[in-house]
Amino acid sequence: MNPPSLSLEQAPPIQVPFRFFLTAPLFALLSALLLLGYGPELLVSRWLPVTLAFTHLLTLGFLGLIMCGAMLQMLPVLAGSPVPAVSGVSMLVHLLLSIGTLAMGVGFISGTGVLLKAAVILLGMGFAVFAGALVVALLRVKLPNPTVTGMRLALGALVATVALGVILGSNLVWPIGLSRPLLFTDIHLLWGVLGWVGLLVIGVAFQVVPMFQMTPDYPQWMSRFLVRVLFLGLCGWTLFLLVDPGGAVVEVIGKLWSLALLVGYGLFALTTLQLQRRRKRRLPDVTLLFWRTGMLSVLVCLALWVAAGVFPLWARSSTYPLLLGAGLLIGFAFSVVNGMLYKIVPFLSWYHLQHRKVTLLGGAGTRVPNMKEFLPDHLARRQLRGHLATLFLLGPAILWPALFARPAGLAFALSCVLLMYNLLQAGARYRSASRALTKEIQANV
Amino acid sequence: MERILDVSDLEPCEPMERTLQAVGDLGEGEYLCLIHRREPHLLYPVLDKMGFAWRTRPGGASQFEIFIWKRIDRAAGSAVALRTD
Repeated sequence: MNPPSLSLEQAPPIQVPFRFFLTAPLFALLSALLLLGYGPELLVSRWLPVTLAFTHLLTLGFLGLIMCGAMLQMLPVLAGSPVPAVSGVSMLVHLLLSIGTLAMGVGFISGTGVLLKAAVILLGMGFAVFAGALVVALLRVKLPNPTVTGMRLALGALVATVALGVILGSNLVWPIGLSRPLLFTDIHLLWGVLGWVGLLVIGVAFQVVPMFQMTPDYPQWMSRFLVRVLFLGLCGWTLFLLVDPGGAVVEVIGKLWSLALLVGYGLFALTTLQLQRRRKRRLPDVTLLFWRTGMLSVLVCLALWVAAGVFPLWARSSTYPLLLGAGLLIGFAFSVVNGMLYKIVPFLSWYHLQHRKVTLLGGAGTRVPNMKEFLPDHLARRQLRGHLATLFLLGPAILWPALFARPAGLAFALSCVLLMYNLLQAGARYRSASRALTKEIQANV
Repeated sequence: MERILDVSDLEPCEPMERTLQAVGDLGEGEYLCLIHRREPHLLYPVLDKMGFAWRTRPGGASQFEIFIWKRIDRAAGSAVALRTD
């Protein structure tokens, strides 16, 4: 007989991930409201305070919270390594990151130094507690699978991103005389988007895409080596940017290095699209459509990056970094995370109730609602339409802000409201099914 | 006696739902041969709690066969041993 290799008893209570998943869309909605309220002003340059507020509400508040919650939930289940004091850690991390992100958003917009100082301290502390707890859990894993390797390296990327963020934030509020802050901002972005988000998405995809989207497995060479190669590639690119030896030949080598690295991400996107085409059950699936959108966005961003190399004048305009940022953050990261939420939230709801029912009633009793009952397809599909409308309007909004910025903001805000509604509904259905199960258990005692 | 359940084309959480229903219907001396496209790690602790034993082996076409029987049913356990050894 095989010993149980996974146990939900090792996993945290459902409140741990739900705390992150159900509150994160609020930050996305705040960022959408900024775009709606400020309109074209927000899309003038990536350096404007309101644009920085928009970006950080999205990256720290939405993506950051969900990715932290997912790691706290998945690590014990996938690797059998519980995060120490997970309930306390999650509550503290959630509190510090939420308040820190709000302080940063309001601080940037109002130019209030004390709020930015508070944000730097709170976010630094929040991520330090999170990383500390995760390092303990990740080091305890004896037989790391490709997803655990992805998590380890993504955590390394997060530490680099946060360290640079704290340095840059400190330089803003307590001028510490940091030389070349623009260069450090680029490295902060590189590690945040391609490192923390990119490596974690790739590592988790090896597990969740075949499981939830009914595709074949990723090729073994990809699941074994891609994340490691990309991490080393990021280290090399960073060194190159920092040292910048100068000279035409070196510049060409640098371009080729970064191209090879980005082709690695493109290869992952293409493979995912190919696997989706070969899936066993060809029924429409909302998560699959979100992921397809995300993967196509990676390819569009890759094309943008190549175009910037060919047309250096355009690369120096304010349009290019905004297009690239919107493509990576909303086209890729938001789509993928949004899509996964539609599987993880109903799956956790169903599995926690099923496990509790089996443990306390031995499998007898009323049926636990299935995943689609927690989060019906038609609701998710409605939000997907809002998300796609956002993406289609964002490009024109960056090119012709006066005409399209506010419509894009409106579509984004609607999409975020629908996402919040869907997740809160799933949470409410979980609570209602959980109460019914508790009554049934009490009646059987 | 062997009962066969193929869940390899089903999306989560249907495979586990159908499996739990099928093992609940197992009679004396019967075992379930579950055909799954992935190894169902999350099923094992649930089976354990319900008093079932299991044996997993990779099946054809990169699928898994999981043989499940009531832990107290010696006849079913022997039948699985004969089938899989």
